[in-house]
Amino acid sequence: MSYKLTNLIQAIDHQAKDNRASCYWDDQGHHPYQDLYQQSSCLAAYLQTLNLPKKSPIIIYGDQSFLMIVTMLAVVKAGYAYIPVDADSPQERLIQIQQIAQPAAIIGVVELPLTLSLPTITRMDLQEHLDYQTTAWDTSQSVQGEDNFYIIFTSGTTGVPKGVQISHDNLLSYVNWMLNDFNLPAKVRCLSQPPYSFDLSVMDLYPTLVLGGELVALSHAVTANFAQLFQVLPTYDLEEWVSTPSFVELCLLDKNFQQKNYPRLHHFLFCGEELTHTTATNLLQRFPEAQIFNTYGPTEACVAVTAIQITNVLLKQYSRLPIGYAKADTKIWLVDDKQQSATAGEIMISGPSVSKGYLHNPQKTQQAFFQAQDQWTYRSGDLATMNADGLIFYRGRTDFQVKLHGFRIELEDIDQNLSALPQVDQAITVPRYDANHKVVQLIAYVVLNQPLTNASAVLKKELAATVMEYMVPQRIEIRSQLPQTANGKIDRKALMAEVNQHD
Amino acid sequence: MDTKETVLNILADLVGTDDVKTNLDQPLFTSGLLDSMATVQMLLELQQQLGIDVPVSEFNREEWETPNKIIAKVDSLRNE
Repeated sequence: MSYKLTNLIQAIDHQAKDNRASCYWDDQGHHPYQDLYQQSSCLAAYLQTLNLPKKSPIIIYGDQSFLMIVTMLAVVKAGYAYIPVDADSPQERLIQIQQIAQPAAIIGVVELPLTLSLPTITRMDLQEHLDYQTTAWDTSQSVQGEDNFYIIFTSGTTGVPKGVQISHDNLLSYVNWMLNDFNLPAKVRCLSQPPYSFDLSVMDLYPTLVLGGELVALSHAVTANFAQLFQVLPTYDLEEWVSTPSFVELCLLDKNFQQKNYPRLHHFLFCGEELTHTTATNLLQRFPEAQIFNTYGPTEACVAVTAIQITNVLLKQYSRLPIGYAKADTKIWLVDDKQQSATAGEIMISGPSVSKGYLHNPQKTQQAFFQAQDQWTYRSGDLATMNADGLIFYRGRTDFQVKLHGFRIELEDIDQNLSALPQVDQAITVPRYDANHKVVQLIAYVVLNQPLTNASAVLKKELAATVMEYMVPQRIEIRSQLPQTANGKIDRKALMAEVNQHD
Repeated sequence: MDTKETVLNILADLVGTDDVKTNLDQPLFTSGLLDSMATVQMLLELQQQLGIDVPVSEFNREEWETPNKIIAKVDSLRNE
């Protein structure tokens, strides 16, 4: 069967209306599709009565819960793009996102940590309007075509996040690919572990809903508590697993994480960072009946644009695993230093899932996006090599962007935020890699402008107030001076060599 | 290298300060020094460097809260 969905909201509603099967399982229990349909429609009608500015996005601040996805769906039904902000984010990030996005409103699915000067819909308001019946929602206003569907904020080199705009049609191209190329069964039961502010979550969310399946929410708190995690995981009767390779590596620490205890788990989908040969080999031994897919893609091209199934044959063939082939509607090519097409170089991506650019940031948009033979193209900053038949192998970055446990971080972003602290004169952040090219740790070297006792702990704590938790370096070392390059810049590469001597 | 030294080197590396080598009773989790991904890293290092398999499904933070508790835990697992 080949899927050619043309409208994502209608496809979900078609699945959800009058359907008593569960679409979501969280700590409140199982939630039927008809509740998703009913509640998101009612909430959409309510949002439309508020006469919020058209074409402006709405921030949704929330967690891994049914009310979160009801709200996300309600916002697009009402005709607005949503900006998901995880409830674990520092207040400062919420303020920054508000300043950049100029949203029409903010919705607190959980209690908001501060009051912003814009229309605010609290959790209580939400709950009061889940069965709002007086007005039907106006479907003609719903997000469609080139309208933004969601905007996800990612690390920016200047220390300020960038909002990647993903349109309905970008997402549609992605979802159709997922439905057609990954052999997912109808009504699949899928793990929902990454936070909704991280676009990896889109890989579990929309394909599962369109397939009439059930999402099983795994909260941050459970993920962090290993005893609880390994107690609940086998009880979920999962069929599909979507996560970063880092998260499955954690799970592989548990000897009971194997096919016998997860008899229906037949699909593993990975994205967000490099899937190592060791991890894939180990996983395929534990789950011999499973199909394991490695995928690759920047947020700017909507979650993922290449994929390949990792089989025993492939593991024998390659010591460093490929990221796969481009999806059918997308063109990927590599360019060398001279901007010429090559078999090794920077990955260029064009196709219907490529974002229109960064919200309210024409300068960064112009740096990263361009027209190539009338095709809107994203310059990824990722280096790769390509086989004659189009198989792609990731080889690193052109810049100082890293992935730590799947989270995308511009090292300059951390430098900027550290340097902005009052006690800091200079700061530079470097990644430490393991033997499999994976970043295991971030280390910041800091020159202080004043004596500071317990400096590492103090700086970590202050930094955590402005950046996401995953951007706080594990180690902060105080130095009296930092190495410099010939033209007087801090020499990041020298420090990288120092901390990665095993290479 | 004995167990204690190996454990302390692993911890100092993960936490980013040598304090853990001198103050063996300082809390690591409640203080935020070790987050969940760093904990995974610690368990992997213990597995690789000392050959011990930590039953991660029984992992209880309270039993691993300080460098001293971790050393005792590792010793008991090695003697099993």
